Amino acid sequence: MLEATNLTKHYNGVTALDSLTLTVEPGEVFCLLGANGAGKTTTINLFLNFIAPTSGTAAINGIDVVQQPLETKKYVAYIPETVMLYRNLTGLENLEYFAALAGRPDYTRDQLLGFFQEVGLAGDAADRRVGTYSKGMRQKVGIAIAIAKGARSLLLDEPTSGLDPKASNEFSDLLKRMSDSGVAVLMATHDLFRAKESGTRVGIMKHGTLVAVHGTDEFGHADLERLYLQYMHD
Amino acid sequence: MVLRIARKELVEMMRDGRFRVLSAIVLAVSLVSLLAGWKHYTDLSRQHETAAASTREQWVNQPEKNPHSAAHYGVYAFKPKSQLAIVDTGIDPYMGVAVWLEAHRQNEFKYRPAQDRTAVQRFGEMTAGEVLQVLLPLFVVLMTFSAFSGEREQGTLRQLLSLGVRRRDLMMGKALGIAAALGLVLVPSVIMGVVAMALTLEGGLLAGDPMRAVLLVAVYAAYFAVMIALALGVSAWAASSRLALVILLSFWFTNSLIASRAVSDLASALHPTPSAIEFQQAMQADLDDRAPVQRRLDERRAALLREYNVDTIDALPIAFSGISLQEGEEYANLVFDRHYGRLFDLYDRQNRVHQLAGVVAPMLAVRSLSMGLAGTDFLQHRDFIRAAEDYRRDIQRILNGDIVRNQKPGQVYLAGRALWEEVPPFDYEAPATSWVLAAYTTSLLVLGLWMAAAVAWMLRAGATARVD
Ligand SMILES: Nc1ncnc2c1ncn2[C@@H]1O[C@H](COP(=O)(O)OP(=O)(O)O)[C@@H](O)[C@H]1O
Ligand SMILES: [Mg+2]
Repeated sequence: MLEATNLTKHYNGVTALDSLTLTVEPGEVFCLLGANGAGKTTTINLFLNFIAPTSGTAAINGIDVVQQPLETKKYVAYIPETVMLYRNLTGLENLEYFAALAGRPDYTRDQLLGFFQEVGLAGDAADRRVGTYSKGMRQKVGIAIAIAKGARSLLLDEPTSGLDPKASNEFSDLLKRMSDSGVAVLMATHDLFRAKESGTRVGIMKHGTLVAVHGTDEFGHADLERLYLQYMHD
Repeated sequence: MVLRIARKELVEMMRDGRFRVLSAIVLAVSLVSLLAGWKHYTDLSRQHETAAASTREQWVNQPEKNPHSAAHYGVYAFKPKSQLAIVDTGIDPYMGVAVWLEAHRQNEFKYRPAQDRTAVQRFGEMTAGEVLQVLLPLFVVLMTFSAFSGEREQGTLRQLLSLGVRRRDLMMGKALGIAAALGLVLVPSVIMGVVAMALTLEGGLLAGDPMRAVLLVAVYAAYFAVMIALALGVSAWAASSRLALVILLSFWFTNSLIASRAVSDLASALHPTPSAIEFQQAMQADLDDRAPVQRRLDERRAALLREYNVDTIDALPIAFSGISLQEGEEYANLVFDRHYGRLFDLYDRQNRVHQLAGVVAPMLAVRSLSMGLAGTDFLQHRDFIRAAEDYRRDIQRILNGDIVRNQKPGQVYLAGRALWEEVPPFDYEAPATSWVLAAYTTSLLVLGLWMAAAVAWMLRAGATARVD
């Protein structure tokens, strides 16, 4: 579970995030929409305690991220726009390293290969250096790391930007599977179609303020786009 | 966690082409320098062994002659070399390793290869000590400058920290990984060094003192630890890999190339030593002033005539010429002690400046300790000079004493093998390890300080480093 309470961040006078109050429950996929500079990444950075809030709190599993930064990170996984991997290591070695550092050094090779299969990565990719990995493959490794970690919350920052439709679709499926298993997902995205497809709720952000929150079952694709553009106009 | 991180760093480096090329170069250069050091050492110690044996041989096999002629004939004394001189030749090439011991004078050292080398030769010939003190820190800088900043620039740092990795673990793991990589590169050289020393173990006086070798390894290990911690701290602290590289290269350049020159200049500005010519002239002027000797001889003559109740020295039962020779020696010794004492005192002070300057550049502390442990530093050179000079004075005393007892007025006195054998062979024992450590306490403290400061800096830089 992810909770923000009056979460605010100023950068020398500029308000990047203004009094965000938001709860993402297990099984929910909350999609943060908004133009560039709206405050989406700032929100995610605050949950990861990469930056200190000016005021307000962020909590993961009910634990304050500023007070217990290491404890809260046990329950969360983070997937950036492009999952970065160590190019001199194979895919499996990367997965093994990230899993070990996430507190799971005990996986066998078979178990790790199992995670690879689970996210739809071909078996022969596992022992290849990741230099040749496409972005779609990298994002899948990101999910595999999250699964290996056993994270109960997921923070994603535009994870499907630049993915081809098929890869994007596969990624959404994986996300859906995770949320079905009770993971709380907070995803920043520009992809209205994906937000409607795989999100349970969407929130529209503008200049650091969450201006609207709707359930995705409230309207169709066209309505969401109209709603979004309407908020962006004024 | 730390070990897991270290292992990944090591694996990554070993698969990195740049690292392999760099290590190959470092490996080649260090092996060549060790080989050169070993060859130099074995050549020199073989030469010394034969020369030391033959100088003794020639001494005891002198034909019958007046003891004072024998005193002029003289003997050579050779400074024993520790096997560790293979690693650090120190000041030996500049100060010389052999001295001619004869009547009336304290000679300068001979065999100074540095004098005979051209600039090109000196440049091309990197000693193992220079490899360790100059080349390896550069290697560390090149391996480490992007160790942290690179992850930040790649974006992997965000991912690592999102996993809940402790920053302290990350820093320690990376430091350990780099240390392990460095260790791997050094393994062949260390093995070769140990083999080289084992092969030469029968020679040299420090054969039975592995403590020095262990300490030498520890000193360099501490030095590399300092360099790794500093470089990793800078990598975390600097805004970019590029900036980190610029900062670290500047530090490397200052530490290993500029500092030693600057400190030499500072030391000689603070404690200027006379030029060789000035020194010799001042000493010669004192030696040429025979009045004090004359006075002393007059006193002794009067006392002896009184004691034996005779009128002329020819009537004495002992040879006054021997006493006169010995008095000449004693007076010259006073002059030597005064002039050399003053000069060596200045060197000592300069040495202290060098040790203290280690606070600014850790390489200076390491260099002092390295030379000290290898037995090729100034302090141990001075100790040898003292022992050789004591031995020279013993010889003069024995020979002059023999003249006093046996020379008869108006007769030619010749001594033989019995007297030559009365002069013991020169037997010099190099100072103990504890002596060296006591002499270099300042450098040890300075190195320890650097170690603590560098690790503290590394951990602090890691704790406060930006995520992106
Ligand atoms: N480190 C920073 N220093 C100053 N301003 C920043 C910094 N990071 C983000 N901002 C500002 O905060 C606002 C929100 O940025 P961000 O959260 O990255 O937007 P988004 O991810 O929605 O595109 C922007 O106006 C941006 O310029
Ligand atoms: Mg963003």
